[in-house]
Amino acid sequence: MGWYLLRRLGAAVIVVLIASVVVFLGVRALPGDPAVVLAGENPTPQVIASIREQYGLDKPLPVQYFDYLKHLVTGDLGQSTQDKLPVSQILANRIPVTLELAVLAMLVAIVVGVLFGTIAAARRGKFSDYTATGFGLLGLSVPHFWLGLLAILLFAVKLRWLPASGYVPFSENPAQNLERMILPAVVLGTGFAAVLMRQTRSAMLGALSADYVRTARSKGLSGPRVVGVHALRNSLTTVVTVLGLQLGGLISGAVVTEQIFVIPGFGKLTVDAVLTRNYPVIEAVVLVTVVGYIVVNLLVDVAYAALNPRIRLAGATNG
Amino acid sequence: MRTRRLMAALAVVPLLLTAAACSGTETSVGKQLTGTAPFDARPVRDGGTLTVALSQDPDALDPTTANTFVAREVFASMCEKLYDVDENLKIVPQLAAALPKLSDHDRTATIALRQGLKFNDGTTMDAQAVRTTLMRDLTLPTSSRKSELGAVTSVEVVDDHTVRLHLSRPFAPLAAQLADRAGMIMSPAALRKYGKNFGAHPQCVGPFSFVSRTSGSQIVLKKSPYYYDKAKVKLDELVYKIVTDANVRSANLQSGDIQVAERLATSDVGTLSADKSLKILPGGGISYQGITINTSNVHGTDKKPGTVHTPLAQHPELREAFALSLDRDVINRVVFNGLYDPDCSPLPKGSPYRDPKATCPKRDLAKARQLVERSGVKTPIPVTLSLTADPVSERLGQVIQAMAKEAGFAVKVVPGEFVTTLNQAREGKFDTIQVGWSGRVDPDGDINDLATSGGSNNYSGMHDPVIDNGVHAAAATTDIAQRRALYSKVIAREHELNGIIYLYHERYFLGTAANVAGIRYYSDGIPRFETAGFAK
Repeated sequence: MGWYLLRRLGAAVIVVLIASVVVFLGVRALPGDPAVVLAGENPTPQVIASIREQYGLDKPLPVQYFDYLKHLVTGDLGQSTQDKLPVSQILANRIPVTLELAVLAMLVAIVVGVLFGTIAAARRGKFSDYTATGFGLLGLSVPHFWLGLLAILLFAVKLRWLPASGYVPFSENPAQNLERMILPAVVLGTGFAAVLMRQTRSAMLGALSADYVRTARSKGLSGPRVVGVHALRNSLTTVVTVLGLQLGGLISGAVVTEQIFVIPGFGKLTVDAVLTRNYPVIEAVVLVTVVGYIVVNLLVDVAYAALNPRIRLAGATNG
Repeated sequence: MRTRRLMAALAVVPLLLTAAACSGTETSVGKQLTGTAPFDARPVRDGGTLTVALSQDPDALDPTTANTFVAREVFASMCEKLYDVDENLKIVPQLAAALPKLSDHDRTATIALRQGLKFNDGTTMDAQAVRTTLMRDLTLPTSSRKSELGAVTSVEVVDDHTVRLHLSRPFAPLAAQLADRAGMIMSPAALRKYGKNFGAHPQCVGPFSFVSRTSGSQIVLKKSPYYYDKAKVKLDELVYKIVTDANVRSANLQSGDIQVAERLATSDVGTLSADKSLKILPGGGISYQGITINTSNVHGTDKKPGTVHTPLAQHPELREAFALSLDRDVINRVVFNGLYDPDCSPLPKGSPYRDPKATCPKRDLAKARQLVERSGVKTPIPVTLSLTADPVSERLGQVIQAMAKEAGFAVKVVPGEFVTTLNQAREGKFDTIQVGWSGRVDPDGDINDLATSGGSNNYSGMHDPVIDNGVHAAAATTDIAQRRALYSKVIAREHELNGIIYLYHERYFLGTAANVAGIRYYSDGIPRFETAGFAK
């Protein structure tokens, strides 16, 4: 297991290095000169040249890259060109916000998706199955921005049950934090719940027709125990895989959700940075995302083993 | 799919055009919301936090380098200027005690300062601070103010409360420039402490002082204990929240999560006006939008003009035909619910520098078709119209497309992301582009850099001696009648060249909760909150 983890971590460092090159070049391939953007309404050649010099954009690309890498290994992610704040400080503020949103959305998705998926499988071909499947179809089809606006109009403008937008840190006021995160988490979690529901239903259908379930039933175990303990536990491997795979969807969904609910998270930061050609922020955001993916995939692999002892990690057998 | 949607949209446009053309009058909402907002003088109570939704994230809050309109809105609450404008856009002293006194054939401007002023960090605002600020504006390599103060060669401290600006030439727009970011005086102590990073810790003279900024999210200001007129300031705190989507700004205003929302969508104004818990304040009107035609911009605005090989660039009569094919009133009604000011001038309506007798040519399809025929160019004449990809701009593009088609133009609308589109404009990689200007109090700021040879925002590449000489002569005199006559000639020449087809002046709509009073909202579109608060 130890060797396996070490190997995975080594591979991760290489992936991060490759990603840093791709990100660095990709950002510079974007149309639109950041110096011209920063020069705003007074883009005189002198101002543009000074801005290029200030941000090192006048240097050859390899020099720029190694400068960037040098700063990166020392933990210096640079300064945002938009508001001159340190990028590390911006990320430190933004990442927890998006993580909280993602965790809450995942909770919504797991509760709704797994519950509906299990019910749909257990009551296959009945009304509740069609209802759950219909919900899945709807959840997959409805765009986040539309659902978000609808939720604001209904729950904040019409009924006035919940605030329309904004963010209060959990450490500042937990009640207000949760109150403001309910709508975004539900909106973001809906599409995800639909995917989980379909996957859970499919996995559960397979599990419910397996021999061990038939054996459990013949031993006289109750229906809920067979479904909830035996079949569901074995179906959770699929659910965990989907959770990992859907992380990307969750982050891209957060981009839209954070814009609508005015949440100062990672997704909103990404969009704003791209629109203003904020190179240091774009580079940092993409790198953090890459690292996030690597970590989550690693965690998913480890979780496999915990949930299903039959799965043996290749590295573990060697180690 | 995309083509089908476009076809469907195009099919609807002629119906909309007909309906709008037949309606003949402005919408009822448009009628109610003309002019600028009257001041709501209801007494306001002490205290409270006012949350204001901004439509964009401001750039660094450093008056020397800032470029965004929304940054000007935040500065209005914390960085006062030597001069300001009143409700009629007349320049009035703010940190200065009087308007500049010109001498030495208008090459020296002496500015007396108000006494007893303190910056929000508690240090004294005096003539030396003014000199430090203006010299920074003139010498910082990344300064965006340098070109605005281009005529200033040196700044002399006469005494603690008087500065003297030496100019290389007579420069009429000086007071107007000092009524914008170039006139915002920064604390020398803060400049020494933070240097280039001043924008993250701005300290000026203002009713509110900077507290914090969460990137892309909010800017928090609090009532300043050092403000010279602090008895007038009632709010404890002012929070600017960044809410980029206009629909979301409206929904937040309706739900009460924010109390003020700037630049509401014209499509929302009608609904929000009917809501008794809200008020809509009209403002703005000095900005303009138009279609810039690439006449000579081959390699970029900073390079020499050359020959552009498109029908519109090659044939001035085709540019005139294109302009004549457009109906500004219909555009206003169809795209903006009749809430904007259709116009063919870069200068706002009501400007003392406009010729009061000048009128805009009406749509004249017959003449447009004649001009097309006379050009000898085979129809349909291809025209590519680049614009920013957003629903309103795209609707505008479709209306222009439908109108120009009747004169023989085949307009291809190319929506693009804002920065990319702007980049194409600067580099001359466009045929026509829908673009605008946020507007300035002095007419020089609306024409000089945008239509004269070598102007950094002269996307069209115009290089005409009548325009160049007229604009430079107008900047060298302070006589309003003389300047009006010069600008009239310049604008008439612009109409002949049609490098820019001016379409309308944007109006801004500020939504507020009904219990908020004391906001001043003028044609410059910048809400001022020093006397704002919650009505008693």
